[in-house]
Amino acid sequence: MSKGQSLGVPDDQDKLLGEALKQVDKSSFEMKTCLDNDKLMDALKHASSMLSELRTSLLSPKSYYELYMAISDQLRHLEQFLFDEFEKGKKMSDLYELVQYAGNIVPRLYLLVTVGTVYVKAKEGSRKDILRDLVEMCRGVQHPLRGLFLRNYLLQCTRNLLPDSSNDELDGTVHDSIQFIQHNFSEMNKLWVRMQHQGHTKEKDRREKERLELRILVGTNLVRLSQLEAVDKSLYLKSVLPNILEQVVKCRDAIAQEYLMECIIQVFPDEFHLESLNPYLKTCADLQEFVNVKGIIITLIDRLAAFAHRSDISAIPEDIKLFDIFQQEIAIVIQSRPNMETEDIVALYVSLVNLAIKCYADQLNYVDDALKSTQEILTKKDMSKVGSNTSTGRELQQLLKVPIDGYDAVLTVLKLENYSSILKHFDYDGRKSLAVYLLQAILDKNEAITSWTQVETLFDLISPLLYDEADQPTDEPDPEDFSEEQGMVARLIHLFKAQAPDQQYQIINNSKKVFVKGGDSRVVHTLIPVVFSSYRLVVAYRSIQETDSKWFQKCERIFQLSLQTISELCKLAPEPSLRLYLQGALTADGVGNETIAYEFLTQAITLYEEDISDSREQVVCLTLIVGTFESMASLEEENHEAVRTKCAVASSRLLKKPDQCRCVAACAHLFWSAKVSDGNEPTECHDSKRVMECLKKSGRIANQCMDSVVQTQLLVELLNVYILFLEKGNNEISQQFLNQLIEKIKGNIEGLDKNEETEQVIQHFENTLTHHRQSKQQSEAD
Amino acid sequence: MADGKSGATGSTPETSIKRLDFKKQTLDDAYAVPANLLEIEVSNPETHGLARTRYTDYEVKMKTNIPVFKIKESSVRRRYRDFEWLKKELERDSKIVVPQLPGKAVKRQLPFRGDDGIFDDDFIEERRKGLEEFLNKVAGHPLAQNERCLHMFLQEPIIDKNYVPGKVRVNN
Repeated sequence: MSKGQSLGVPDDQDKLLGEALKQVDKSSFEMKTCLDNDKLMDALKHASSMLSELRTSLLSPKSYYELYMAISDQLRHLEQFLFDEFEKGKKMSDLYELVQYAGNIVPRLYLLVTVGTVYVKAKEGSRKDILRDLVEMCRGVQHPLRGLFLRNYLLQCTRNLLPDSSNDELDGTVHDSIQFIQHNFSEMNKLWVRMQHQGHTKEKDRREKERLELRILVGTNLVRLSQLEAVDKSLYLKSVLPNILEQVVKCRDAIAQEYLMECIIQVFPDEFHLESLNPYLKTCADLQEFVNVKGIIITLIDRLAAFAHRSDISAIPEDIKLFDIFQQEIAIVIQSRPNMETEDIVALYVSLVNLAIKCYADQLNYVDDALKSTQEILTKKDMSKVGSNTSTGRELQQLLKVPIDGYDAVLTVLKLENYSSILKHFDYDGRKSLAVYLLQAILDKNEAITSWTQVETLFDLISPLLYDEADQPTDEPDPEDFSEEQGMVARLIHLFKAQAPDQQYQIINNSKKVFVKGGDSRVVHTLIPVVFSSYRLVVAYRSIQETDSKWFQKCERIFQLSLQTISELCKLAPEPSLRLYLQGALTADGVGNETIAYEFLTQAITLYEEDISDSREQVVCLTLIVGTFESMASLEEENHEAVRTKCAVASSRLLKKPDQCRCVAACAHLFWSAKVSDGNEPTECHDSKRVMECLKKSGRIANQCMDSVVQTQLLVELLNVYILFLEKGNNEISQQFLNQLIEKIKGNIEGLDKNEETEQVIQHFENTLTHHRQSKQQSEAD
Repeated sequence: MADGKSGATGSTPETSIKRLDFKKQTLDDAYAVPANLLEIEVSNPETHGLARTRYTDYEVKMKTNIPVFKIKESSVRRRYRDFEWLKKELERDSKIVVPQLPGKAVKRQLPFRGDDGIFDDDFIEERRKGLEEFLNKVAGHPLAQNERCLHMFLQEPIIDKNYVPGKVRVNN
């Protein structure tokens, strides 16, 4: 122990190292000069004085390392020279003895190792005996830093010289190599651990940092062991691993334990790990309290999971119950460490779940077991409302995300019985963010949900998106986020795809009841797709009308429910509700249900009259109503008449003249191509007179427009409508009448200023005339 | 190599060099915490009193696992003249060469100085370092470790100058 000597401060370090390196330069130069002149004894003397620099206690590990590197570079010249000497016939055994007379132990042992290396290469003596002698002699240096580097030099020099076969008793077998490395390893580990007790306790942090810098020296021993080709699974299990583990446990040093356990995982092949899980994991339970056991086990699990995933299934032998082993050992580790952080425990289970999914995707009970164990621990620790920003919260999120990401089908998650019970331990934000994650995954994969049971389970998991909850924050959620979340729920509804219509009905009906509980802010998003799915279901029923005799009644029920659903939406979202009514009218019309279709239509009109007040919106809605109505075919005359009239009246009541003009013209179609049913066959109205009335009225309104450009524009549009009806055979329209209108437009155009807008109107007019001329020629030719 | 099993193989290390046998170290010994931890810190100087009764004392903190010390962690307050007392006792009773204390700074105690004399911060810090070095040297000495006066100085709250000098024995 060099208690009195304290290491220099960093500035000193550079100076001290610089001086030492200068000495090395000087001595090594002299050594090489002597070698060139064949003066071996003098060369050894200079080598020894160069090596004396390594006796220092003043350098930090980092500086000492640099010094060591510079010196070991120079020793290579010596080694090469010695090898040449041997080839010239010099006996290495003599030299081996000679260098042992060097005065100081550090230079002596470096020289011994250097000569020993050549001695082995020379095959003059038994390789195993020389190696054993070297490794035992190194015991002479017990100063941690000096000893570690000396033994590292030994490892470097012998790296290609270790026996690696199983049958050369005389020269050495792989067993001798194992013994050699393990001896060296245990000594190095001892020195490394001892550093912890060196120096003042208040420098503990710096010392631990320095120890971490040196760990690779100790780990090199394990690397050498893993490089022995003759070490197979059984040798590893019998002779290699137990010794390493014994050193690990007995050293009782957290830094060493943590590093070495990780090192074992990294340097030896996965096939070996599979065979040695039990002893390895048992050791994990025996490590010091502050060792990051969780990290070690997770590294191992993740490596094996990746290994199993990479290679085919046969990579894991049948008799190795990977999951069971890890599950048991994790339980033991947790039990043996009462102070283990919850986040670390959860992290272990995250890894375990990952393993189960990667290696045993079809064994849902594995994942379920792991979730159950986690849940029990959370309950035991009385953890509820775990914050999503706490480290435990993050691990728990991870625990639940692994199955979502891991399974091919996201919906597999719904089969995990303990999934939702874990979710219950989160705070509101945690539950919600997981709900969003799950939902997004389902939407991304576009997975069909086929039964109410599935939907119900899913709703349980995503409940923060469906209802207000007791523990949610009191302030309003961000409106953009909120509508995005609700949009996701809405998209989810389109994934409800039961095989049979009856089941689909159950899903839609039940989920609607759930959505209604979500309150006004949610139903405006969720009920719309519910209604649309209902309409789709009607179409599905019609397609099975041959096999389902009650299909018509069932459809009627769906319509009733839809009407009711829309009525709940009316006040909240008038315009979408109107569209839903119209879509309903079309759907009912499609299945020939006149009563319902009429009901939907009148609801739409009532809604229009009562709740659509914005003039722009009115135009849009009225146009929609007219368009929808025109394409229906099931209404009988009485109802048809009522709606036609309503439309015409509503059109003439619009606020702005141009809107009136256009809508009234549109209404003309209701008296021509709109279809009226007599109970069986629909026929088009073809009421020439009423068409003419509409168009004339539209013309009058156009003439009332003050803006001459707009007026001209409207008249051109009207001219188009006239021509259309003329072509369709409305005999109320005469060419003479058309000519009057054309003249009127021409007159208007003369009065217009030339600009881009009027250009367009004129172009439109000319195109119309061209069309008219051509179609007249066509019909005359026919 | 004392076993010399393969002595017949020629010019191996066994034939050329004889090695002493050594006892194999047990793992518990190899990894044992060293039994010689001794850390003494002199810190927190505080100046008390006024005029002629004015003096500075220091906290003496000790941490050890050496068996001869009954208390493994202790903290007492001592002034310069206590250190002098310790030095005198050790010189009288033990056979060790007791190291020097930092100087008495006689000059600093003369009147009409521009600075604070012996109560100047720089001086106190310098003296603190010296005292700490002194104590670590003394307490680290195996023979001094047996002296009752050292134990009293390091671990008893108040020094009883009328104590009976003698040796401390390790109980187990």
